[in-house]
Amino acid sequence: MAAVDDAQQPDSRLSKTNRERLVSAGRHAALLVWSFVVLFPLYWIVSMSLKPPTAAISLPPDWIFLPTVYNYIQLLQQSSFVYAFFNSVFMVSASVILVLLIGVPAAYVLSRYDIPKQRDVLVWILSSRMLPPVAVIIPFFVIFRALNLYDTRIGMIFMYITINISLVVWVMKAFFDGIPETLEEAARVDGATRFQAFRKVILPAAKPGIFSVAIISFIFAWIELLFSLVLTNNNAVTVTMQVYQFIGVRQIEWGMLAAATTATIIPVVIFVIAVNRYLAAGLSFGVVIKE
Amino acid sequence: MAKIDLDTVTKRFGSGGDAVVAVDDVSLEIEDGEFVVFVGPSGSGKSTLLRIVAGLERQTEGDVVIGDTIVNELGPRARDIAMVFQNYALYPNMTVEENMAFGLKMSTDLSDDEIETRVRETAEKMGIGRLLDNTPGEMSGGQQQRVALGRAIVRNPDVFLMDEPLSNLDAKLRTEMRTEINRLQNELDVTTLYVTHDQTEAMTMGDRLVVLNYGELQQVGTPLECFYRPKNRFVAGFLGSPSMNFFEGQTEGGTLRLDGFDFDLTREMQSAAGSRNELVLGIRPEDAKIHDTPRSSHELEAEVDVVEPMGSISYVYLRATEQEGDRTFIVETDGQRAITEGQSVYVEIPDDDVHLFDDEDGETIHQRKLGEDAEVELEGQT
Repeated sequence: MAAVDDAQQPDSRLSKTNRERLVSAGRHAALLVWSFVVLFPLYWIVSMSLKPPTAAISLPPDWIFLPTVYNYIQLLQQSSFVYAFFNSVFMVSASVILVLLIGVPAAYVLSRYDIPKQRDVLVWILSSRMLPPVAVIIPFFVIFRALNLYDTRIGMIFMYITINISLVVWVMKAFFDGIPETLEEAARVDGATRFQAFRKVILPAAKPGIFSVAIISFIFAWIELLFSLVLTNNNAVTVTMQVYQFIGVRQIEWGMLAAATTATIIPVVIFVIAVNRYLAAGLSFGVVIKE
Repeated sequence: MAKIDLDTVTKRFGSGGDAVVAVDDVSLEIEDGEFVVFVGPSGSGKSTLLRIVAGLERQTEGDVVIGDTIVNELGPRARDIAMVFQNYALYPNMTVEENMAFGLKMSTDLSDDEIETRVRETAEKMGIGRLLDNTPGEMSGGQQQRVALGRAIVRNPDVFLMDEPLSNLDAKLRTEMRTEINRLQNELDVTTLYVTHDQTEAMTMGDRLVVLNYGELQQVGTPLECFYRPKNRFVAGFLGSPSMNFFEGQTEGGTLRLDGFDFDLTREMQSAAGSRNELVLGIRPEDAKIHDTPRSSHELEAEVDVVEPMGSISYVYLRATEQEGDRTFIVETDGQRAITEGQSVYVEIPDDDVHLFDDEDGETIHQRKLGEDAEVELEGQT
């Protein structure tokens, strides 16, 4: 019996290794296919932006072509696009800073203090996102006109804060809930005021959460189109509106559209890369959780 | 250094009919440099009491005095205390050095150089000198514990508060740190309040124990006093491991009728019991003795239920042969003694070692006898 076992063992071990290899290969293949699905549109847009206008939508597509920055030069020569681009950078950045300044302390207070009707306050904050934007766009338009906010940068910054505040408060409240209260108690015993404990101990511990909501808020505001279409006209136009304008009634300027789209992606990528190191997962809070 | 007075301190959480009394009318004087251990089961109010002293909770009634100052209105930062938390609560975004320097930066006017020197000296003393550049996430539980202690010590505060600081360590490390904290406290001579639910820690660490249950003070005394002279059934049962065995019964003449056996009360016990009818007899597992054959009048026949060998000793769980209920009691016996489950034995309950409690209010009405030396020592302590 033992001899038989010995004889069979190498075979079964081999087949096991083979099976593992097969599973691994399958997994890699699936990942490759998925990467292709995700990355191909990006490749398509970037490559389209680098083709001369005539070749942009030729079929079959020119897989090999001489890249040109023609579309980008054209784009930069359009002062309205450049204006809208920097307009968006300013309005979106300002709105992210402000929404964090308002939302993070609010989330902290909701997490740590005994507030009457705390749950109701949270749902009330969330209610700003419960209706589809299209349902509230007309009331917003009326209000913006009445308050002289129509087509102003301040108006759009308010709009972006409205869009993102519930996200910041809800995510950050959950984040603060996860930070042990003993951390700020230790700081207070160590001689810090409540505010110092928040600023010097809790805020740094909450950095990953803050930067996560900053990125998401930035993206939500940056890609917003509906509100800017209705609430701006000239002064406060956004980059998404400018991209949209390349889709004309009679024709679509594919090369320009692709270049504008690519240019629009860049700030988001830069922002994400800049804060990426703060998003380190698995941050220890320097405490042990009692089992 | 400072003495601490708690004067009729009460803490209620919530209000009206839903209020929970966490600390109930506790008065206590803690001497300068004393090491006092608050001990009790969970929910006994020991941590709340410590947090009241720290200023992290505000008492509903009563006064807290540290040194000569009533600190009721003062926040934690104004009380000159240092605290070690159960979960250590090290600042995750700071290195060990920054963690230890934080309190000095916040609460003193020391220059950066002076702070660095003090941090380094303390770190060396605590054996964490080489960890100064690490962040809490990079350290083991034991190392974090040392840093937490170091962070408290470096401040050189008037009072140390420790909230179950050893409960997250493994058994071996816990024993080591117990000795270490004792040594540090002796060396620094700083008034220390220490909270634990672990009665071994309580017995081995404090100059005095404060035993709490349901927010009420049960007994304040030296560990030996609380162990040998418990004020009530709760203290008697809480201190000592395994717990004291209790047998409820009724007196009939000079006899206490218990479930499964009768115990003849001595004259002293009878006069202590007075007119009380319902009594509880308490005997510690190490005081009862197991015999194979009947030897004395104060014994009962019992059957061995379970044997737990601990090495040098064994814990034998027994059931009185004639009892109606299903309860077992524990007797400690020599580890080398051959004893098997199901065996029939005689358990002697020496009358010198017996405690008697009032069944109604749990108060001790008769204490066990002690050897002459112990009596003298306990006399000296009280």
